[in-house]
Amino acid sequence: MTELETKIRAEAERLLSESLVDVVIAFRQEDAPLHPQPAFFTRAEELESLAYNGLCANNLANYLTRYPQETRIGMVVRGCENRSVNALLVEKQHTRENLVLIGVPCEGILDWRRIVALTGENVFSVEEKGESVCVHTRENTFALSRVELLHPSCQRCLHPNPISADVLLGDPKPEGDPHLMRLRIAELEALTPAERNAWFKHEAERCIRCYACREACPMCYCTECFVDHTEPRWTDSGVTPAGMQAWHIIRAFHQSGRCTSCGACERACPMDIQMTYLTDKLNLDMIDAYQFEVGMDTTTQPPFATLTLDDKNRFITQGKRS
Amino acid sequence: MSTTPMKIALFQCRWCLYSPEDQAWVDNDLPKNIHLVKVPCTGRIDPLFILNAVQGGADGVMVSGCLPEKCHFKEGNLAARRQLAEFSQFLDYIGYAQDRVRFVWLDLQDRGRIQQELAAFERTLETLGQAQALATRAPIAMGGAHD
Amino acid sequence: MTYRLPKKDLDQTLRGWANQAEVFVPQKREGYAQFLPWEAGAELLLDEPHNTRFPPKDFFLPQSETLLTYNRKLSQLEMPALQISPRIIFGIRPCDARAVALLDTVFATADNPDPYWQARREQTILIGVGCNQPATTCFCTSVGSSPFDHAVLDVLLTDLGEAYFVEAFTERGEALFANLASADANDAEQADKIKQQASALLEPAFTTDNLKDHLDQIFDSSLWNEFAQSCLGCGICTFLCPTCFCFDIVDEAQRDERVRNWDTCMFRVYSLEASGHNPRPSRAERTRQRLMHKFSYWLEHADQFGCTGCGRCVRYCPVGLDIRAMIRKAAATPSEVMHAN
Repeated sequence: MTELETKIRAEAERLLSESLVDVVIAFRQEDAPLHPQPAFFTRAEELESLAYNGLCANNLANYLTRYPQETRIGMVVRGCENRSVNALLVEKQHTRENLVLIGVPCEGILDWRRIVALTGENVFSVEEKGESVCVHTRENTFALSRVELLHPSCQRCLHPNPISADVLLGDPKPEGDPHLMRLRIAELEALTPAERNAWFKHEAERCIRCYACREACPMCYCTECFVDHTEPRWTDSGVTPAGMQAWHIIRAFHQSGRCTSCGACERACPMDIQMTYLTDKLNLDMIDAYQFEVGMDTTTQPPFATLTLDDKNRFITQGKRS
Repeated sequence: MSTTPMKIALFQCRWCLYSPEDQAWVDNDLPKNIHLVKVPCTGRIDPLFILNAVQGGADGVMVSGCLPEKCHFKEGNLAARRQLAEFSQFLDYIGYAQDRVRFVWLDLQDRGRIQQELAAFERTLETLGQAQALATRAPIAMGGAHD
Repeated sequence: MTYRLPKKDLDQTLRGWANQAEVFVPQKREGYAQFLPWEAGAELLLDEPHNTRFPPKDFFLPQSETLLTYNRKLSQLEMPALQISPRIIFGIRPCDARAVALLDTVFATADNPDPYWQARREQTILIGVGCNQPATTCFCTSVGSSPFDHAVLDVLLTDLGEAYFVEAFTERGEALFANLASADANDAEQADKIKQQASALLEPAFTTDNLKDHLDQIFDSSLWNEFAQSCLGCGICTFLCPTCFCFDIVDEAQRDERVRNWDTCMFRVYSLEASGHNPRPSRAERTRQRLMHKFSYWLEHADQFGCTGCGRCVRYCPVGLDIRAMIRKAAATPSEVMHAN
């Protein structure tokens, strides 16, 4: 057990034993070394299995909307999760008073697929030692560097530290470089429309429409998703180019001003489809056009939920663009 | 220049054409290549509508609404302005030319302008050619990926 | 009959087949193994411990398929003619082939066969490659199979290092290898040893004694809520499953077509009725359905588990829900508990 795990466990234990929360949402490790699971602790005795490491790949804020507003929830949050919680609070999906956020500065999520690609199958255990990661397989031991295993979204992460946690465990990490996300989008924007179109199709048309991206996303909590709507049916139902493209376009667009770039969608995707190049672009537009960054507080409404008369726009009045 | 006429989807706010003549023209004399969808307000236009028009085979989409401060529902058009403008930029990002989605604010003195705007839009589309960037809801290949 | 196929001759062999049929082989594209048409120079991915990411069931049951087109004005229906050319799938893993055998009990029944399935099955020759080194996510031996199960395979290959030991089980399979030299006793012995070693690498993931009855008894257990807590409700486990076969028939009114799409019991809308009632209202019922179907209901209609231990659901579940651990937990849940709920 790591020092950080001990601290998280102690805090969770305090919250549960003093009956300050009804449930603590964190991670636990079962047999699968690469796949810690989201875990829901309601009693202090259960906390023995609580785990926290670089392979905890889910955005726990995803589970917030499953509980009624009255449920008092303790939740382990990293930078992105904290901002997702904030974004959900803006949308009135829970009550801040009923949340205890156990903040953990994040070193970035390790991409298990990268590990498997580098070490082969049969991984038995993964040990993290600061900047190096030690992977034991059936036959071998590999010493890898954390940086090369980081999930792409985490490489570009801007805010690794929880911004409004109730307790902060562990040492704060330096803030990320805002240029990294911009660089990637700028690279795509520099391509010709045909090239961008080919990129988009190449990604979108591998989709198998399992909707793992939707289900893994804390902000996708609609009771009925537009793709499940049958009357009218908004998109092709099957794995047709039109159906797959529509899913990727609209899913991403519904995240405008709501996505925290946590990358949970990409980590969940079974077909390794890139999606953050869509949401990051929208995020940057929101920052540039409306100076809005998702989840930085619990009150500022996202741009599409607010209106002003003086927007710059490309609507044509009297034959001129204003 | 393409010889087949450009297919245009026109989303028209039912309050934006002030003159009865203009509305009568849109309702009765719209050229065959223009598909009219009347909406109660531009604020009603979900980006899905635009996408649906594109995937339904439109070469271009035009949205006509009321001037910012003249919305029948006070601010429906402001919501539309934010969302739809961003959406068309987003489509551009994935390779669907931004010029294929056009927005027009119409005002009281703009009699006859809808016809001019549509004609101008059609000329723009003709220079762009038929839209091919996004898949239309065409029949899928028989038997899935492997046959 | 058994043959010996030297690895250096494999390319030549595939080339020969490609003249008479479409040949699909596992290749790496987008970073993972997929069955793609063989072309000259194609790099085969046969030594990965795990199989293709997407299950080969879509060779027989495409994820989306047009069943008929209609013309509403003329009140006409038209069924597209099934045109399927001969195909050879080379390098399919025994678990995936066994899944095809299981699906035959659904789609190739004597009294009510599915013509689409049938036509594709008849035109497809399956050549399997056994697994010398099963992955940690594999558990075929726990569900009554093995790394060299030849279920509905026409041919099974065993990797002997320099060459493949070829066992043909059908005439059409045999015909493909007829010009090869027969394997000798030494090859057969070596193959046997490899098979035993591979099976020995797989420890039993759970015991299946009395499993069905036990599952039936804990139908109302609170255990299912526990699984449902972390389950996202996405379709990965079922869409990547080689034996999941549920489909939904949809009228794509915009293009006047009736389409059959894969569906999954993990979706809320799967069991949602027109009235608004949902007999499986929460993820608890849905996760239960997936397990019960594979480990209880399948036994009722096919007398086999509906799981072949391929491990895809284990590998790709975004929240790390491991079906093996779920079964172990279910087995450990006392059946008395159900009455308390």
